[in-house]
Amino acid sequence: MSTFLDLATLLLPLLYLGAAVAYGFVFFAAHPTAGRVATPALHGAVVLHLAYLVCLILRHRQFPAATVSQALSIVALAVAIVYVFVEWHGRERSTGFWMVALVFFFQLLSSVLVRPNPPDRQIFHDPLFSTHVSLALLGYAAFVVGAAYAFLFLQLYRDLKAGRFSTFYGKLPPLEVLERMMLGALSIGFLALTGAVISGAFYAEQLYHNAWLRDPKILVTLATWVLYASALLLRRLRRWQGRQTAVASLAGLCAILFSLVAVNFFFTDFHGFL
Amino acid sequence: MSLPADPPLLLVGTDFRCSPIEIRERVAFHGEDSEHALVHLLARPGIAEAYLLSTCNRTEVYIQPRDEDEAYRSVLELIFLNRAPDLEKPGRLYVKRNGEAARHLLGVASGLESMVLGEPEILGQIKQSAALAETVGASGPVVRRLLRSAFSAGARSRQETAITAGAVSIGYAVVELARNIFSGLEECRVLLVGAGEIARSVARPLVERGARELVVANRSVERAQQFKEEFPQAELVPFEQRMEAVRSADLVVVSTGADEPVLTRKQLKEAMKSRSPRPLLVVDLGVPRNVEPSAAKIDNLFLHAIDALEHIIQRNLKRRREEVPHVEEIVEQELDHFRHWFHSLEAEPVVASLQKQAERIRQDEVTAVLSRFPAETHADLERLTRSLVRKILHHPSTRLRSRNGAQDLSHLEFVRELFHLDDDEPSEDHDRR
Repeated sequence: MSTFLDLATLLLPLLYLGAAVAYGFVFFAAHPTAGRVATPALHGAVVLHLAYLVCLILRHRQFPAATVSQALSIVALAVAIVYVFVEWHGRERSTGFWMVALVFFFQLLSSVLVRPNPPDRQIFHDPLFSTHVSLALLGYAAFVVGAAYAFLFLQLYRDLKAGRFSTFYGKLPPLEVLERMMLGALSIGFLALTGAVISGAFYAEQLYHNAWLRDPKILVTLATWVLYASALLLRRLRRWQGRQTAVASLAGLCAILFSLVAVNFFFTDFHGFL
Repeated sequence: MSLPADPPLLLVGTDFRCSPIEIRERVAFHGEDSEHALVHLLARPGIAEAYLLSTCNRTEVYIQPRDEDEAYRSVLELIFLNRAPDLEKPGRLYVKRNGEAARHLLGVASGLESMVLGEPEILGQIKQSAALAETVGASGPVVRRLLRSAFSAGARSRQETAITAGAVSIGYAVVELARNIFSGLEECRVLLVGAGEIARSVARPLVERGARELVVANRSVERAQQFKEEFPQAELVPFEQRMEAVRSADLVVVSTGADEPVLTRKQLKEAMKSRSPRPLLVVDLGVPRNVEPSAAKIDNLFLHAIDALEHIIQRNLKRRREEVPHVEEIVEQELDHFRHWFHSLEAEPVVASLQKQAERIRQDEVTAVLSRFPAETHADLERLTRSLVRKILHHPSTRLRSRNGAQDLSHLEFVRELFHLDDDEPSEDHDRR
């Protein structure tokens, strides 16, 4: 099992890179054969990735989010699965390059930061805590996907507004479809983050009583939650258009990255387990 | 490996590059005209097979000749000079022979020879003409196979390259713009301000591509009524109520002859406030402009004037031009298949295939029954069956060889069909030559 894990750590970024290159040919060169290669390559990588995470669970007997590497790997897989669903559902590969490039980036970081013997923490054996972490990671992955679609939406929006018709014009799905994809991903992310906040609150209340409310990471996460809630609500009430929602989605991702990196490493009291 | 000899073909034609419309329309053949022309061509002794392609941009005759000079004279007289003596002037007609003629038709089918590079309708026109030639009995094995190669080249060029990609007319450029914004034209409400020829040229591709709701606001009621005659689904609204119509529209195409803007920034800003958050695409085809240019600054409103559409068209044409080498490659591949097929029609490969097939059957049958015979008789059995096959095939082989030549290929094609001899794949023998 150890050899398989080592091999998968090496292979996964390479497979995602290969798939990203194939999707790149689809996007930039509209290459007819690349499309037939890209999807199976991504499916193969996702299957290997699932096997990798199952092996991690079997080997360490705990939820595989005990290290930054493991958490990033779960986010990478979640993004990949969300994209596989989007491609299957929408029958179009034009956004594949951007999504799979993100997956590659997360998995590469995960493989670089991998630790051979992650610490055995009792906390990761607790089902409520595992639910909290799973929901948080699923939420983050969905927000990453949403932000990627928001980025593509804004690029196409700017091209169309300025009549530039550059790289993005004609190669992406229409603005309305990109917006729908973005809103879908944000809605999933918001629900998952809500679940993560609620399950985290229950868990922290048991351990720390009221002290957890002062944790900077929780404060930033709650601010992020409010940001996404407002963006989705304003869009639902038709007060905001796609562009404002897209900007909010990118701002939300920045807040998430801030809470993950800066807050996690420098300020947090008890969210420092990663 | 040397390539097989080119099939004997003769092409005489004229197109938009050689002749103006006044001449092309005189040599345009439609329906019964085409039928009669083909029948008359076939009545000439120098012509074995004929195919006539006549579109608004070209008239071309492809001949599989028995006598090339005689065939050329017949085509000139029957198809071209009788109807348009001006075609006698140098440069008006082009003549291509053998492989060049075949390559030309494959290029036409692939859209390489079209006035608008990659224009897709030509393949359908070639198919229609092919059906007519078949009905009249003008196409024989060579023309039929040439047309098959042309269909294949045309279909592959469209599937494997981007030669037909992108809009290359104003109407389709509007469709392309709309498709980059809206998820489907079916759900788009289109408002046309102005009902002239430009509006029609935009409405046609929009309706063709699925737009169902058309609203027309025009100053002249008569012109609006004329528009409705062509597009019965169109809803007419008074010109003064155009702003109400903008509020419920997704795509607005403005093409009036007005000197002043008919949609101002202020009006559009007001309209956007009372609209759903759906984007609004406004295409201004008027010169001078019919929509205040500063309206482009309004959020969620996409304003494009005729220059932007021209930009799209030029960009798409450039992209199509970049595909030409790939299409030419496909044409060459299909031409090679056609040449190999033609080569396989020569008597020797047919005889060889026939003998190979007979020998295979003999071997299968002998192997199946060999164990029932004593071992000492096996050699005799081999000898006997070989001799039988040789004698049965002797006369047909001699007859086929004695009729060798390209003048009448139908009997070779018939033999191939009768004995189910593979005619598409070049044999290893051919490749070695």
